[in-house]
Amino acid sequence: MSQAITSSITTSGTTISNRHVLHCRMQSEPAGLERLCRVVRVRGFRIAGMSVECSGEHFEIALTLEGSRPISMLQSQLLKLHTVAEVVLGAQQARSVA
Amino acid sequence: MNGAQHILKAFQQHGITTVFGYPGGCIMPLYDALVGDVSVEHVLCRHEQGCALAADGYARASGNLGVCIATSGPGATNLITGVANAFQDSVPLLVITGQVPAALIGTDAFQETDVLGMTLGIVKHSYLVDDADSLPGILIEAIALAQSGRPGPVWIDIPKDILLTQVNPQAADQQEREGCESAEPRTDSATHNGAIDKDINELMRLLRAARKPLLYSGGGITLASAEDSFREFAEQSALPGVVTLKGIGNPGRHNPNHLGMLGMHGCRAANRAVDECDLLLVFGARLDDRATGKPETFAPNAKIIHIDADSAEFHKIKAAVLTISADLNDVLRTLTLGVKAQPLNIEAWQKQCRTWLTTGGFQAADNEEALAPITGPAFVRQLSRIAGDDTIISCDVGQHQMWVAQHYQFNHPRQHLTSGGLGTMGFGLPAAIGAQFAKPGTAVINVAGDGSFMMNAQELATIRRYRLPLKIIILDNQCLGMVRQQQELFYDNRESHINLDDNPDFVAMARAFNIPALHINRTDQVRRGIETILAYKGPMLLHVAIAREENVWPTVRPGGSNRDMMENTKPAKKKTEENAA
Ligand SMILES: Cc1ncc(C[n+]2csc(CCOP(=O)(O)OP(=O)(O)O)c2C)c(N)n1
Ligand SMILES: [Mg+2]
Repeated sequence: MSQAITSSITTSGTTISNRHVLHCRMQSEPAGLERLCRVVRVRGFRIAGMSVECSGEHFEIALTLEGSRPISMLQSQLLKLHTVAEVVLGAQQARSVA
Repeated sequence: MNGAQHILKAFQQHGITTVFGYPGGCIMPLYDALVGDVSVEHVLCRHEQGCALAADGYARASGNLGVCIATSGPGATNLITGVANAFQDSVPLLVITGQVPAALIGTDAFQETDVLGMTLGIVKHSYLVDDADSLPGILIEAIALAQSGRPGPVWIDIPKDILLTQVNPQAADQQEREGCESAEPRTDSATHNGAIDKDINELMRLLRAARKPLLYSGGGITLASAEDSFREFAEQSALPGVVTLKGIGNPGRHNPNHLGMLGMHGCRAANRAVDECDLLLVFGARLDDRATGKPETFAPNAKIIHIDADSAEFHKIKAAVLTISADLNDVLRTLTLGVKAQPLNIEAWQKQCRTWLTTGGFQAADNEEALAPITGPAFVRQLSRIAGDDTIISCDVGQHQMWVAQHYQFNHPRQHLTSGGLGTMGFGLPAAIGAQFAKPGTAVINVAGDGSFMMNAQELATIRRYRLPLKIIILDNQCLGMVRQQQELFYDNRESHINLDDNPDFVAMARAFNIPALHINRTDQVRRGIETILAYKGPMLLHVAIAREENVWPTVRPGGSNRDMMENTKPAKKKTEENAA
């Protein structure tokens, strides 16, 4: 399924991987973080950094991600999780070559 | 009322009358509650995969929620293929499993598996219940969630002790009053608001500006219960149209502008039209790779307009110039008014498409010779002519599935039950069982392959037990035909482990389950064979010996472009004999 996604940017054989920061707010259910991380992995991103705070009924999660696919596609997939309330794209993306 | 009794109460409150299950240790409290319960019919399948796929078939045929139940450990793992199948095809399912008692979770207890963890990728949502008082609310939410927006399976894993715990009645009352507040609305943007009107106007503008607009529809039409409004729009607009595997039946049998299924095993006319169109109107489809072929060369000249309940599908495979996430019924009805008021001016394009169809539709010569061996396509065409208009066909996976998709004339998408996204061999028989429970008065036929049939053959016992009148047709080519075909075409004809020439005697096998059966192998027996099983009032199996080397044509090389379709070629000489195991 994922092979069909054709948006990775290739220049002279090198895949350019972008760095993104995503802030997510989700219900603090026991499997919440697993759900989130699974979607990140399956949709083609690596977690370069992660911080989680539990505030009352919610997790506040900051993810630093690397990947060559459009980050908006990941955002919309994360928003489909029933317990995810918000996904905000954070700090300006820095580019790095993988 | 304990947790288990609350589950039955929720079934009753939500009109759930049929569930498919299999008992075991940790789910026993629910089975105990079923004793003497008359509000729900529990169907005992003979394998949990059968339960899940039967629930899936029930949901597909009826449009209602499918429910399956199993015990912890092996019961839950056996459900997984069926649940993944429902997930891939957006089928609403409620899955209930028992779990080891809460205090034992994490001790590697007998029949403990991390069901929540291992199913995260195949559910729309899931719960591990940790408090009996929360169960009523979870049930309400799960039932709503499975059916809302883009439907899918929702799994509730319930420790045995919680099934036995008395639920606080005040807590239950309150949750039931609050209802499903947290469940999603029917679509991402359920209200027909101003923003959508603006988008529809823009859609109309693009449609009028296009010279070669094409309608592309998928399984989302049925999921949105938009069959009627789709058909009305297709007819009133007179747009040439193609369908995906799951969209088969959307335009009905008689739309003259309908070109057929596109994609890997689609017809040349449909793929040609996609290749040439300048506007592609995608309704309720996700542009999956079996349909699009190589995405870079898919609809290369077209602006794409994508209308779907799930906005995460937009721009995933192909960028769209306009996307609308709304109730498909609203959009289609508004568009129909538009084209009625001012018809589209696309005669040249319509004519062109119809010309393509005359030579590029699904070609299959009907066998004329009485003594000739039966071929899959000719058999399916005959079946399509003989079976009644509302007959439900439940397919397995392989060549026979594609022959049904290509050559059976479906009147409505809910008549065609097929495992699209997961391609699950063994789907057909249990799904047919589910469909027969959903539609007791309708003829249901499982068209199986000889390989697929053996994957859930134990469900013959379920058919017998419940005296289901469904029919089974095995198209027996004595091999895993679709794999053989790919080995022939793309692996230099090196056959590897596809041979099934030592299949069991399927007729004797059916009879062992007290299901009568017939065998045919010649063209002149086809009509009689079909008529005989359809006329029989109980279940019956027709074993059809078909030619081994027949291929599904046309075809596209996996990963190739749909415009590079391969047409029927002579079978190459076999290179290697497979080692008989
Ligand atoms: C559970 C499962 N295992 C393996 C496959 C791969 N596969 C796809 S089609 C096919 C052959 C099916 O054989 P049969 O049911 O006899 O149908 P035919 O192609 O011969 O019509 C196989 C093995 C699959 N789709 N599902
Ligand atoms: Mg076969």
